[in-house]
Amino acid sequence: MSADSALETITARVRSPFEGPNTTGNSNAFWTAFVLAVVGLFLVPAVSPGHVSDLTLFMSYAFLALSLCFIWGYCGILSFGQVAFFGVAGYTFGIVGINVGAETGALLGVVAALFVATLFAAALGYFMFYGGVRDVYVTIMTLVVALVLNTFMGQTAGSEWAIGDARLGGFNGMVGAPNRAIGTGSVAIDMTGDGLYYVVLALLIATYLGLRALVNSRFGYAMVATREDEDRTAMFGYNTKFIKLAVFTFGGTLAGLSGVLFMFWSPGGYINPDVFGITAAAMPVIWASIGGRTSLLGTTTAAVALQYLDQRLAASGSEYALVVIGALLLFVILVMPAGVAPYAERAVDWIRDGVSAKLRGDPESENENAPSNSEVTK
Amino acid sequence: MSVHDSTIKTTAAVDETGAGTNRILQTRGLVKRFGGLTAIDDVDFAVEEGEMRCLIGPNGAGKSTFLKLITGRHAPSDGSVYYDGADITDLDSYERVDQGISIKFQVPSIYPELTVRQNLRVPLQRVASRSEYDERTEATLEQFDLLEEIDTVAANLSHGQQQRLEIGMAMTLEPDLMLLDEPVAGLSIEETEEIAELLVELNDEGVAFVVIEHDIDFVASIADRVTVLHQGEIFTEGSIEDVRADPEVKRIYLGESGEADAEERAGPEADH
Amino acid sequence: MDPYQLLNLLFQFLDSFAVIVLAAVGLAIIFGMMGIINLAHGEFILVGAYATVLSYHRIGLPLVVAMLVGVAITTVYGVVLERLIVRHLYDRLLDSMVATWGISLIMIQGVRILWGNSLDGVGTPFGSVSYGPYSYSTYRLVLAGIAVGVLIGLYVLFARTDFGMRARATIQDKETARSMGVDTDRMYLSTFAIGSALAGLTGALYAPTRSVGPEFGQEYVVEAFVTVVVGGASVIVGTSMAGGLLALVKSGATNQWGQFIGLAAMLVTAIVAIRLMPDGITGLLEDWRRARRESE
Repeated sequence: MSADSALETITARVRSPFEGPNTTGNSNAFWTAFVLAVVGLFLVPAVSPGHVSDLTLFMSYAFLALSLCFIWGYCGILSFGQVAFFGVAGYTFGIVGINVGAETGALLGVVAALFVATLFAAALGYFMFYGGVRDVYVTIMTLVVALVLNTFMGQTAGSEWAIGDARLGGFNGMVGAPNRAIGTGSVAIDMTGDGLYYVVLALLIATYLGLRALVNSRFGYAMVATREDEDRTAMFGYNTKFIKLAVFTFGGTLAGLSGVLFMFWSPGGYINPDVFGITAAAMPVIWASIGGRTSLLGTTTAAVALQYLDQRLAASGSEYALVVIGALLLFVILVMPAGVAPYAERAVDWIRDGVSAKLRGDPESENENAPSNSEVTK
Repeated sequence: MSVHDSTIKTTAAVDETGAGTNRILQTRGLVKRFGGLTAIDDVDFAVEEGEMRCLIGPNGAGKSTFLKLITGRHAPSDGSVYYDGADITDLDSYERVDQGISIKFQVPSIYPELTVRQNLRVPLQRVASRSEYDERTEATLEQFDLLEEIDTVAANLSHGQQQRLEIGMAMTLEPDLMLLDEPVAGLSIEETEEIAELLVELNDEGVAFVVIEHDIDFVASIADRVTVLHQGEIFTEGSIEDVRADPEVKRIYLGESGEADAEERAGPEADH
Repeated sequence: MDPYQLLNLLFQFLDSFAVIVLAAVGLAIIFGMMGIINLAHGEFILVGAYATVLSYHRIGLPLVVAMLVGVAITTVYGVVLERLIVRHLYDRLLDSMVATWGISLIMIQGVRILWGNSLDGVGTPFGSVSYGPYSYSTYRLVLAGIAVGVLIGLYVLFARTDFGMRARATIQDKETARSMGVDTDRMYLSTFAIGSALAGLTGALYAPTRSVGPEFGQEYVVEAFVTVVVGGASVIVGTSMAGGLLALVKSGATNQWGQFIGLAAMLVTAIVAIRLMPDGITGLLEDWRRARRESE
């Protein structure tokens, strides 16, 4: 009995930074399922090697999904242009990598790509939020930025459009980013096949947990308050412009990370301006809308699931992938405006409550995941 | 509650507020023009520490605009705002809140989608550490008679409860000066009395207030002094009895337009 | 610069102005009156173009009649979508953007599945006017005339008719308008229908000027959005002023440095304009008017 409760105290303490009313899944059952899912994902290369490459790509996109979930779901900034940071990071990685070469090139490429994407987001965010641009105008502006980049990169076909050894290549794209390993000198990590899969998976888990901790922190509350009512929040002494700038900037970093991982996956280190196009720009919005924009896990799952669906449909020769995904989006917006995640959570609660009530014959034991701070702060 | 002591402040504002005076808030020659028209015209206004001041005046007198100049929502066209010994004219809203000014808006402006507990957390985490949250949340809700609603989503509270929650949230920041824009609009007689008691209690603890209100009986029940604003200027200032008795004040309320007397009636009638 | 070049520049300006105004005005009406940002606007233009080209080639209608058919079909299409989907999204601005984006994806791919990657072209009518060493397509000048005509027509509709009065009452305060006996539901439907018809008109008019494929609408949608956002909520004033500004930048830069720089200059101008006037040109005017009222 006392060993049990000691164990409970320890798990509660480990869990506490990742829990709170700003995230779903604050129960033992949730974390058990989570650990099982993670173990399952780590076993994929052994059990089902045929899925490794696809899953690597989809999980790379999940960072892009998380970036939108973070800024839109938690801070109310709807960006239609997250792909701008994805693409800028991808191109930067390529340009630096091609010029430096090999695994050192890849390492410097990652650093440069994340730096440029972050800086770009910070500059755009400063320009917008400190200029009083709000709501739908932010949405349109970010979309326009992505489309400007699409137009710009599209016309770089000529040989004068080269940075060092890196030819931008217009609509045909840029090839040859060194993406097979990362490191320097004698120390290099393999970034192909299973190696890349494990790197992406580990980063994704770390990012997910990190974001959970962040949105449940003081800063997370400030973000949510800003989302709910910006003026009111400023009158509690919060610098809401700075909060939005910080959130948007970090969102840019995450989208940039997604772009970098995409480049490691991309055969031949290839990228083209379609990454800035209107269809690409729509995808993160679709993932977040369907998955549930206020749910990190929902958005991530939706990104992987929808990309899988898209890929299955395309592989079977069907042209209906976009039609199906568009229809799914419409259905969710009309029927479940907050996305699937809140409904899924309710369904799980309902089932678990039913089960536990039956097992213990005790109707009162069902409240263990009531969203309250008291259980977080012991 | 006061942060003043005998230290001599060396800002230019020494003789406006702060050391040497007991004024907490002072405006000097405050002007706000919209386009070519003047909403606030050369207002010198001062509030003492711990004072309870009411701001009244007919519709369009500029009361809300004036409050927005103090909170920093509007930037003045001319003039200065001093608070606690410093010129705060160029500070952003959130910086003024940091200095100790807090506001309750005209429309109850809480976070409707969040629970009462989460609502309180937003101001609370600025002044308390994690381990104090529960205790302080409960203490505040006790004081504002909302303890039973702790996990209620704020949108589901009654209008009076929302007003109390918002005042509670604003008070959580432990301000030295509290600005209230029509705190009892739309409340029942009982609720109005509760709010009045609450404000007097907080005022006794040393918080200074500037309250905009139409309900003259409510004003009479709380105010030390009353300032009458008319056409963007201070028309008169004094005790509630003096102001009530002043025939000139009656004239401006009944004044140029028919809506003025409707407004004076609106106070008592809104109680029902 | 000789007078011919000046004339050339003027024609390019008129051409850009016509494209921008015609592409944007339907979107502007729907946004300004209903607060809905229709991201499928480009695909409404697409419907107009496809209906025109298909009824011209497959049924053999004369071009003008085919264009009218294009407008009619787009209008019907808009009405159906309003009833089925859009009306559930009033007052949900961001949701309406996301949902209409879904519609857009379905339509582009649907059109590709049904008719392939392009349709047979329709020749541009009317030939061209020559001046000095240059010539310019007469049809494109006609389009500029039509754009101005559409703006005037909308002005008359919204400022001078009973319908316009009810429409404006609905925008200003839905509840009050309803209590005054305005059927706001029907106003929204009519507004959406007018916006759709204008998109259809744009598709019909531009179908003969270039090749028509599933991405036809996308060519106009960027111009349309930036114009609406730069213009702000007031439909006619906003669209005309923003259209004028953006067309001036675009045609000037295109003339000087080529098409790509022209487009980029226009988009950058739009971004800067949004930054300087967060509520658009009309937002600026409106702020000023409201300030006047507030202090009276």
